Amino acid sequence: MEMEEKSPKPIRCKAAVCRAAGEPLQIEEVEVAPPKAHEARIKIVCTSLCHSDLTFWRLKDFPGVYPRIFGHEAVGVVESVGEGVEEVGVGDTVVPTFLAHCKDCVDCRSERSNLCSKLPFNLIPGMPRDRTTRFTDAKGEPVHNFLFVSSFSQYTVVDVGHLTKVDPGIPFDKACLLSCGVSTGVGAAWKVAEVEAGSSVAIFGLGAVGLAVAEGARLRGASKIIGVDLNPDKFELGKKFGLTDFVNPKEIGERSVSEVIMEMTNGGADYCFECIGLASLMNDAFQSCRPGWGKTIILGVEMHGAPLCISSSEILHGKCIMGSLFGGIKAKNDIPIFVKKYLNKELQLDNFITHEVGLQEINKAFDLLVEGKSLRCTIWMDR
Amino acid sequence: MENSSTTPKPIRCKAAVSRAPGEPLRIEEVVVAPPRAYEIRIKIICTSVCHTDVTFWRMKGYPGVLPQIYGHEAVGEVESVGDHVEEVVVGDVVVPSFLAQCGECGDCESEGSNMCGKLPYRPVGMPRDGTTRFTDAEGAVVHGFLGGASSFSEYTVADIAHVVKVDPAIPPEKACLLSCGVSTGVGAAWKVAKVEAGSTVAIFGLGAVGLAVAEGARLQGAGRIIGVDLNPDKFEIGKRLGITDFVNPKELGEKPVSEVILEMTSGGADYCFECIGLASLMADAFRSSRNGSGKTIILGVEMHGSPIMLDSAEILRGKCVMGSLFGGIKPKTDIPILVNRYLNKELKLDEFITHEMGFHDINKAFDLLIEGKSLRCIIWMDR
Repeated sequence: MEMEEKSPKPIRCKAAVCRAAGEPLQIEEVEVAPPKAHEARIKIVCTSLCHSDLTFWRLKDFPGVYPRIFGHEAVGVVESVGEGVEEVGVGDTVVPTFLAHCKDCVDCRSERSNLCSKLPFNLIPGMPRDRTTRFTDAKGEPVHNFLFVSSFSQYTVVDVGHLTKVDPGIPFDKACLLSCGVSTGVGAAWKVAEVEAGSSVAIFGLGAVGLAVAEGARLRGASKIIGVDLNPDKFELGKKFGLTDFVNPKEIGERSVSEVIMEMTNGGADYCFECIGLASLMNDAFQSCRPGWGKTIILGVEMHGAPLCISSSEILHGKCIMGSLFGGIKAKNDIPIFVKKYLNKELQLDNFITHEVGLQEINKAFDLLVEGKSLRCTIWMDR
Repeated sequence: MENSSTTPKPIRCKAAVSRAPGEPLRIEEVVVAPPRAYEIRIKIICTSVCHTDVTFWRMKGYPGVLPQIYGHEAVGEVESVGDHVEEVVVGDVVVPSFLAQCGECGDCESEGSNMCGKLPYRPVGMPRDGTTRFTDAEGAVVHGFLGGASSFSEYTVADIAHVVKVDPAIPPEKACLLSCGVSTGVGAAWKVAKVEAGSTVAIFGLGAVGLAVAEGARLQGAGRIIGVDLNPDKFEIGKRLGITDFVNPKELGEKPVSEVILEMTSGGADYCFECIGLASLMADAFRSSRNGSGKTIILGVEMHGSPIMLDSAEILRGKCVMGSLFGGIKPKTDIPILVNRYLNKELKLDEFITHEMGFHDINKAFDLLIEGKSLRCIIWMDR
């Protein structure tokens, strides 16, 4: 029985609002509506910037919409729940995910897919079930949400299909990483590629996702993990994640990256991962993988929407190209597995965090990522 | 110990020679050299025209390969063997394979690859020394085709790695089909896609390869097999080989084929096969596959060498594109399996043969294929 004084009320709090494409975010007061049915309102403890936030933040035209609260990689504590929510309760530590996991539909039940069809992934703004927003600004104007999460706000409302309860034993800043980038990379090595022990792996782009692929490949027992990046600093850093070799496209003269990788692997890598979001790199990755059984895995969100263009004769030579959102991860099953592996000291997460700031300095996090100076910068909401 | 009176001599015989791209073949007398080490000479019993023969026959500007003898789908009897050949003896019934299986290299030993690394796929020249075994009446060089199969000749020389011994109980015209096209299609469903029982399959192009995919999918227990072709006659024959639904792109008005298939399958087929060789169709097949788990399998040899253009955002939705030569078939291992399945009445082959003629009518076989009037036309060398 519901007692009227227990119904959650709107909450006023701080959020980093983007009012125009590519412009610095402004810390404003917003109002966050109570959770509706199948929703929970979360107090965000910390969040981090993922390059996909950047890609959408730069978009002038649809699906870019303004004003908007970005952020989708985060961790928080449940503050209140709407009707029909049984999976999580007030006080639970939860990780929001941009991909839903309803556990009920055909795709959630299938082992082969992580794309929930009941709460399908799309770029249309609004909550998944009714397409409205829970945010209004100080003037009472609606502010759009982002990827069903909007974590650049001290409070946010998230559909329970997009929430994974986690063991509160994991430090918040590590749990935050599992909300998107690191899970994507580790998942890609584990679930999408199914990297076999002793195999060779080439990773194009050593941002957080690429290095998470390295970590995932290391855990799977890959014997050779080649990192490809224009930034030579990434090699030292990459070694901590399992990189055994490094290729800098600027330092190989006339040769192409794929030529170099074919040589290093005697015919091509068993698995090639693209972790930047550039069609030309996706093609390089495809050319670097081994005929006969080589797999190319695309994780990057193409930053200009350019098509992927591959050789029709090369694909006949037994090559395979595949892609995934969120590294094939089914959030409610797999994130708790990662949490366990972290607590067991199998999965290394600490090295992904290179910087920390408070909410007030969130634009610094953007600068650091744009300049390639950070992997993950933890943004603490209460500072 | 070799007895010089039994050393094989050159043989004079008839062959269908191509002297200009796209021009009718000329039945000429040629001289077929004896088999060298690791080679055998085969008396061809019958052969058939595969669209890949047509694609190469039409190629202008392919470096210096004319005059050439095409044909690679055939069955014959071993007439003589060269040194170091122990696998077959004179009189054995054999089927040539354009893909080699040396049995020793990493690819041959791996389960996943059928791309022999020791004797890689090459369109012209004997695999071990790059030379030809054919000369014409004037003693000028006539090039062989695809590993030395060159089956449009009464006699041909093939490398032992490109030869499969088959049970003589199988009628020769059925064995001939397993030499390329039908094995490619059945293999693609069985070994490349690994079609699961109950799943949905869409096949673009209902030539012999496409219909063989249908037959292979039927054997794998596919629940629904959609055939896509511009020729409505293909549906009747397709039904006999497992096709449950038919889509004719000319009869859809404004709607693209992929939209129709997405509708028919509530979201996309589990497996889409391209069996023509057109990059635009390969892209259509990709768009017709299911989000989350859809696999697109490319079998067609792109007739203009055009690249495949894929939407980079679509591939992130858990889609996969793969291709293979010869449907993932390891010739010496798998062709005998298919022979047995035919003899056990599991695998249907009779439906693929729509015409039969003598060697001198070979150009008619080309015409029938180009006009889309035949599936496989068996060319009997002795008629």
